[in-house]
Amino acid sequence: MRAMIIDDSRAMRSILRRIVTGLDFETSEAEHGQAALDQMHAGVVPDLCLVDWNMPVMDGYTFIQQVRANPEWRDITLMMVTTESEQRQIVRALAAGAHEYVIKPFTPEAIVEKLELLGLVPAVREVPA
Amino acid sequence: MTAPTTVPGYDASVPSLDDVGAVTDDVWLALVGEDEVLLPRPVPPGSPFDATGAWSAAVTVTGEWQGVVTVELDEQVARLLSARMLALPEDGPVNDGDVADAVGELVNMVGGNVKSLMPGPSVLSLPSVAAGRAAFASDVVEVCRLDVAWRGGPVRVCVHVPRP
Repeated sequence: MRAMIIDDSRAMRSILRRIVTGLDFETSEAEHGQAALDQMHAGVVPDLCLVDWNMPVMDGYTFIQQVRANPEWRDITLMMVTTESEQRQIVRALAAGAHEYVIKPFTPEAIVEKLELLGLVPAVREVPA
Repeated sequence: MTAPTTVPGYDASVPSLDDVGAVTDDVWLALVGEDEVLLPRPVPPGSPFDATGAWSAAVTVTGEWQGVVTVELDEQVARLLSARMLALPEDGPVNDGDVADAVGELVNMVGGNVKSLMPGPSVLSLPSVAAGRAAFASDVVEVCRLDVAWRGGPVRVCVHVPRP
């Protein structure tokens, strides 16, 4: 399984990378939505995207809309990981095609729990530190 | 969480100090782990941020509620936090770009969660980060200040609202 981590913060990408590599995902990274789309058009198509909302160039909401507009990418699981916690925004993201929504700050356990619910990792495993 | 309070003389709701403290604790715990917590740091009102070197960062909230959330960190605290977030050796070098990135993410998370305490809808800006003490905008007034310490170094979180 391959995960793409899309966040303008290197530090946050590092934190998320440690979590998902501990779950045996291969990872790639992008600093905004357009950079992620560029990678995907070039053939780096992940099974899972962990997407921040507020980013320069292209935000996470627009990225989700773009991914969902391409039928070839319909199997990609999209999880927003963001400080954006207004109910209105969560509903927008889910309606646009996000499968799950995690609000920062989060624990590794919260990410793992969501991935378990999505069936991307087995339900019984050790949570990476 | 408690309801936002109102500052006399200002036509704006502000989050309580307890809530800002809870938000900051939660963010810090998520970034550095459970083994080290922020400690209270009594500071007289109006005292300048007394760090040896510093990093400053801000995010702006616009919409139904308007305000600016700022974070100031002692230089060593900022570098240790950055090393922890990036999983780098704590006794090794951390370049300024990595510190700016980490401090920006810190204020993004604190600001985003302060925003969630306030009336919406509103929009959070991208963070701005400066090495040293930033001169925050003059058209806002500080309405909430949290002074804490991590590993003995000072950390300050403030909420500002537009000047009436």
